[in-house]
Amino acid sequence: MEQKEEEDDEEEESSSVGSLNNELNPCPICLGPVNQEAYLDRCFHKFCYNCIAHWAKYVAARNSQPQFTLRCPYCKSDNISIVYECEGDSFQRHYINKELEKSTFFTKAHKFRLRCYYCEPGAIYNKFNVQRFWKLHRYLQPNKWLQFWLKREIQALTQEEDVDVVVHHILGSIESFTRQKERGPSKRTIEENREDFKALISDAARPFLIGRTKRFVDEIELFLVSCLNVEAYDEVYAQCVEMVTSGAVHEDEEERLQEVNRQLPYLHFFDEDTDTE
Amino acid sequence: MQASRARLFKEYKEVQREKAIDSDIQLVCDDSNIFKWTALIKGPSETPFEGGVFQLAFSVPEQYPLQPPQVRFLTKIFHPNVHFKTGEICLDILKNAWSPAWTLQSVCRAIIALMAHPEADSPLNCDSGNLLRSGDLRGYQSMARMYTRLAAMPKKG
Repeated sequence: MEQKEEEDDEEEESSSVGSLNNELNPCPICLGPVNQEAYLDRCFHKFCYNCIAHWAKYVAARNSQPQFTLRCPYCKSDNISIVYECEGDSFQRHYINKELEKSTFFTKAHKFRLRCYYCEPGAIYNKFNVQRFWKLHRYLQPNKWLQFWLKREIQALTQEEDVDVVVHHILGSIESFTRQKERGPSKRTIEENREDFKALISDAARPFLIGRTKRFVDEIELFLVSCLNVEAYDEVYAQCVEMVTSGAVHEDEEERLQEVNRQLPYLHFFDEDTDTE
Repeated sequence: MQASRARLFKEYKEVQREKAIDSDIQLVCDDSNIFKWTALIKGPSETPFEGGVFQLAFSVPEQYPLQPPQVRFLTKIFHPNVHFKTGEICLDILKNAWSPAWTLQSVCRAIIALMAHPEADSPLNCDSGNLLRSGDLRGYQSMARMYTRLAAMPKKG
């Protein structure tokens, strides 16, 4: 008898992927195989997107007071959002509190920046002279637009509104980099300086941006190299992206974004960038 | 409507598969209507309901599983949380605490647990509740056992 149980356990473990898994772990709401995987953000219990969204809607309609959390049907823990369409490192979020979902922080510019991460950055490098920036020690000059740009960038990547802590953390490491370089002539070469910079920012940003860290570091560098203000920079960037994707910026960017997501699933949440070079 | 039907069909298949495992619960779907079910549950051991078999009637709403099923005892039972005349059950998961992750089978299990652990403070049957609240456990148990014999056991002879 004991042996049989063990076998059963093994079976469950070995079938961690595929349809068998879906049969063993059906959606607790429809009891069928999970269709359009969706997770609650605190307990990570899995449901069909439609099932859990219906339930959230039903609960909201039943309560006269606006709800800020959704109790997991399975474990009763309180959750603030439903995470779905997880592909690679991108996902969508459906907040239980509609105010949060409708909140205006995620602007068109945010969407555009997020989209940039799904495009090859190649063309933009032709616009700015990265070598010159490092050679002339331009990085020692403060960039007054950096804070605003960083905040928007991190908001776009994390889809969170309150990212001030992360922004200050990254600004802090950039500052400590410049201070260190200001201290006097170092024996480091231009390339080494550049690598130091990237390594420092990588370390600061990785806990928050995970698989997108490497690209994010490249993007910071580009923005600093450009010496443009945010609007001007966006404009130049948009031109390059358009050249690459040869498509205009659509109104229904979200749909477009998803389309791009599917085409370029090369970034992953837990990818260490070292080998994605 | 379609969703509830599909889900009930899944539960039906699950019930067929689990029949042998949980012999305390026998869930049967109405031949002509998948929204009507009956269940036979065994009274839990070491309670006054031991040895009895109780019949439950399920009426499943079209909004199921967003809405809980309506369940009542068809068999007379002397229990603080069951209405003595109508068989209505006072159980949080059948009201506010309902979650779509419950199934008809797990509702049956919850009802068996309620039989073993009555909540005397929210009584539908005041007589039964008052016996427990006044500490007359013996009185409660003998009344409950009597009704179990009268209503939930096969008649002798």
